[in-house]
Amino acid sequence: MSGVKIIGLLCNWCSYAGADMAGTARMKQPAALRVVRLPCTGRVNPLLVLKAFQEGADGVLVSGCHPGDCHYNEGNYYARRRLELLAAMLPALGIEPERFRYTWVSASEGARWTEVVEEFTGRVEALGPRDGGAA
Amino acid sequence: MTDYSYFPGCSLASSAMEYDASFRLVSEVFGIGLDELEDWTCCGASPAPHHWGGELGILLPARNLHIAGRSHPAVVAPCAGCYNRLKYAQYELRRNQQLRERVAQVLREPVRYETEVVNLIEMFNREIDPAALAARAQGRLEEISLATYYGCVLTRPAEIVNFDDPNDPVMMEPLLRAAGATITHFPFKSECCGSYMGLAKKEIVFRASRQIIETALESGADAIVTVCPLCHQNLDLRQRQINFAWDTDFELPVLYFSQVIGLALGASPEELGIDSHAVSADKLLVKIKKTANR
Amino acid sequence: MRIGVFVCQCGTNIAATVATRRVVEAALSMRDVFHGESIQYTCSDPGQRAIIDAIQQKNLTRVVLAACSPRMHETTFRRAIAQAGMNPFMLEMVNIREQCSWIHSDIDTATEKAIDLVRKGVARVRRQTPLHAGSVPVTRRALVIGGGVAGIQAALDIADAGVPVTLVEKSPTLGGNMARLDKTFPTLDCSSCILTPRMVEVKQHENIDLMVSSEIENVRGYIGNFEVDIRRKATCVIEEKCTGCMICEQKCPSRAPDDFNAGVGESKAISVAFPQAVPLVAALRKEYCRLFLKGRCSVCKKVCPAGAIDYEQEDRFVTERFGAIVAATGFEQFDWKKAYPSFGGGLYPDVITSLEYERMLSASGPTGGHIRRPSDGAEPKHIVFISCVGSRDESVGRPACCGVGCMYQAKQAILTKEHIPDSQSYVFYLDVRAGGKGYEEFVRRATREFGTIYVRGRVGKVYPRNGKLICMGTDTLAGHQVEVEADLVVLAAGLNAAGAAAGLARKLNISYDMYGFFSEGHPKLKPVETNTGGVFLAGACQGPKDIPASVAQAGAAAAKVVSLLSRAELETSPMVAEVNQMKCTGCFKCREVCPYGAIEEQELRGGRRVAHVIGSLCQGCGLCNVACPPAVIPLKGYTDNQLIAEVVEVLREPEPASSAGASAKAVEVAE
Repeated sequence: MSGVKIIGLLCNWCSYAGADMAGTARMKQPAALRVVRLPCTGRVNPLLVLKAFQEGADGVLVSGCHPGDCHYNEGNYYARRRLELLAAMLPALGIEPERFRYTWVSASEGARWTEVVEEFTGRVEALGPRDGGAA
Repeated sequence: MTDYSYFPGCSLASSAMEYDASFRLVSEVFGIGLDELEDWTCCGASPAPHHWGGELGILLPARNLHIAGRSHPAVVAPCAGCYNRLKYAQYELRRNQQLRERVAQVLREPVRYETEVVNLIEMFNREIDPAALAARAQGRLEEISLATYYGCVLTRPAEIVNFDDPNDPVMMEPLLRAAGATITHFPFKSECCGSYMGLAKKEIVFRASRQIIETALESGADAIVTVCPLCHQNLDLRQRQINFAWDTDFELPVLYFSQVIGLALGASPEELGIDSHAVSADKLLVKIKKTANR
Repeated sequence: MRIGVFVCQCGTNIAATVATRRVVEAALSMRDVFHGESIQYTCSDPGQRAIIDAIQQKNLTRVVLAACSPRMHETTFRRAIAQAGMNPFMLEMVNIREQCSWIHSDIDTATEKAIDLVRKGVARVRRQTPLHAGSVPVTRRALVIGGGVAGIQAALDIADAGVPVTLVEKSPTLGGNMARLDKTFPTLDCSSCILTPRMVEVKQHENIDLMVSSEIENVRGYIGNFEVDIRRKATCVIEEKCTGCMICEQKCPSRAPDDFNAGVGESKAISVAFPQAVPLVAALRKEYCRLFLKGRCSVCKKVCPAGAIDYEQEDRFVTERFGAIVAATGFEQFDWKKAYPSFGGGLYPDVITSLEYERMLSASGPTGGHIRRPSDGAEPKHIVFISCVGSRDESVGRPACCGVGCMYQAKQAILTKEHIPDSQSYVFYLDVRAGGKGYEEFVRRATREFGTIYVRGRVGKVYPRNGKLICMGTDTLAGHQVEVEADLVVLAAGLNAAGAAAGLARKLNISYDMYGFFSEGHPKLKPVETNTGGVFLAGACQGPKDIPASVAQAGAAAAKVVSLLSRAELETSPMVAEVNQMKCTGCFKCREVCPYGAIEEQELRGGRRVAHVIGSLCQGCGLCNVACPPAVIPLKGYTDNQLIAEVVEVLREPEPASSAGASAKAVEVAE
């Protein structure tokens, strides 16, 4: 694969559906993102994010439901706390914090999802591929 | 008090000298230093953006912005048109790398474009404490009702100038109220006056400006307050032409914001250049309370 | 392990941007893949047949299906592979349509991505284990939230099918917005004449429990077994005793705004919403009552012949169980005053909303059906209707069409002419949207028979001059500016979701859009479902709708509810967490994070205390999975191994396809 590789960890109930909606509306997006579907961002183990970086991902994007809108009531709050800590740790591991983002996109926000993907891909492309990742 | 770079623009140096005079007078009273830009040029006004591929519409204000960047953190442009052009150039320069390079090529050095651009209302609101103004004004304007007229380019396009609500601007009000004046409900506060159509197609100005004057009168105002020299020209200088065109008999003085603040401070109409206006303000001036001197 | 990979072409939806044959070839070089095939439409009958045949002929044990979003057809295909004798969960769907072919244009890039995604899917399905669905009993009772026309229809339809219904309405009466309307387009039926009999039916129905002045406080549980706390608000009136005689209202000395009449006219602190209210009972609003504000009054208590007044009443809470819920919370009109200072922002009394005008038109309204200017009570002769106020206007953040404005404006123009024959109505419109049956003809009548003048363009400003309101606008067809002197201006303010909708959505765990409208499960195929099983939508809470559409959707929602509750038991998802009790340390961090109380303590032989997941309560969110320090609560279907494999495989540089491997396995590409 040419260019950068980005892993998306998406909540099935909101962001994954939002991404589907963007597709149904044929909103063109950069192709560096590979999406893994999860029941909830609360299922995102921070270690999974680190694993992705270890395996050579140039960026990791986690997206779930807006605060207050979690399908499981509070999963996204757990995600927020866990990922906030993770984000703070990344520089210590030699990973630019700009390579990681977690955000909220609802099932009806296809356009917003497209913006998020464009913005994040652009950001990661500007940083370029990570060296010393998978190698 | 802060010092500001001052960009007068062509109007304040010619047809609107009374605007310049009253602006300097009020600034001095409140200890605001004004540093006129060295070797300033035209802001681009209305024609430049529409000719020569529009490039001059950016280059001219960009140059002035660049000069302003030498001295103070903010530049004040009392003319609404100048303010709009400077804001526009800044907006474009911030987001367009190619443009920055082009301007740098013309200036022969990297362009400085981050100087804050403020209009007169913004500057007064920032530097003049309403309570301090009220103390000096001693209720001089208590019997006066004013229609605050903002015009079109001071607040628009909203995402570029980012000043007040384009449909319902209110920023003149705090100081005018502090000076004791009553603000009338004036639905035409941000309608177009006809602008430069006064040259090409006067009828448009006659129509647009007539509605503004008429509605201001209906609102019970003793005068219209403005910050735009071009609006002033259409509303004041052309008021007789409007009367002639529509067979009306309007006689509504049109004052600059800084002139009204000057009156509140007790300055004489002559110092403020109010006697240079086409429409006499005598009926308004007799309503000003004769209180202690400034 | 024998994996089959099927790549759907979806006609040209996928095949136009993803070279499906190349995807199949790449798949065949992947480990354990024994069959690869590209199919024109996998979801079609021949497509499903082909999958079943391949499974049976090649003895496949797992299936990867690269097609549309799993949110679309996962169930369909699980059923198909179950028909072939496989465990339905040994399927992995790879989304190469919504998240690949439709969002990319370059064939090579899209194909490369599709191959990556298939590799990810293969890695995941290799680690999948057979799962078996459990079952839970179903509570055979439905909850309908909202007593407007949609809620009424849904409740009646469900109740008629023999299923008990509780209808919860926040105001003191049924009827909602429809009860406020005078006539309805395009037939000019009297709105209350067709609605009130339905309201009475609800009240009298043996299967319907009506709770007015009530709101949803809390919702727990899941499809088939919801537990709902309902707040029954204190109205200071004992519903069972009140006869609706309205003596209290006549004698009450405290004035209050008239909510039912959209603020036109006045009401009292204690009042019956309107004479046809169902139930016909009074309610007291403490915020306007002299007794509660000043400490003395009690006039209503003294005059009430039924002894129905109880000032001590407090909010009560009841908890009930339901198998299904229908949300029918309707709409409220866009609050135009802040958004449109150019129309006076509420400063001019003679600029009113269409709903206020509707109350003026109504014979039972506060003006007795006489159109009167609010400022001086005079009969207006020139009436200007302005469309799209807070709809189709990006400058106020409301780009959507309100869907009903054009039609009710035509109706109001017709009714105006009937009320005041020497009047002249003007409608400023952007486009006349009259898509329904008989709608276009109706609008024609407004112009031809009733002489309404339609001006295409927006009104930029309304301002007073000489006691009239001047409407300045543009006639975009003639290309010039127009000014109309009006006596009365009526704004077709757009529709928003009811103010409390977002809060309710959170309680129900359903999603909603930026205007507060609830999101349907799928825009085409699940128009009344939501993303939460057992919760259905009816009426304008899902999006602006007229009456026929609301009623139709309510009927559809009722059918869904009845079908759901016709079953004694429901299958539960097997994708739940499961504790490996051998390795559990008994720290119970999992229990702390579980939102469903699905984790209990169990004592093993030998006295060791460990966690246990109650399968029927677990909803499969995976919170415990992450919280578990020794990582011994896998979430079935989303195990750590599966997710890690997905990430690792999708990031792996693929080896060049081994041609030997590919040729050893049969490639079938359906043309």
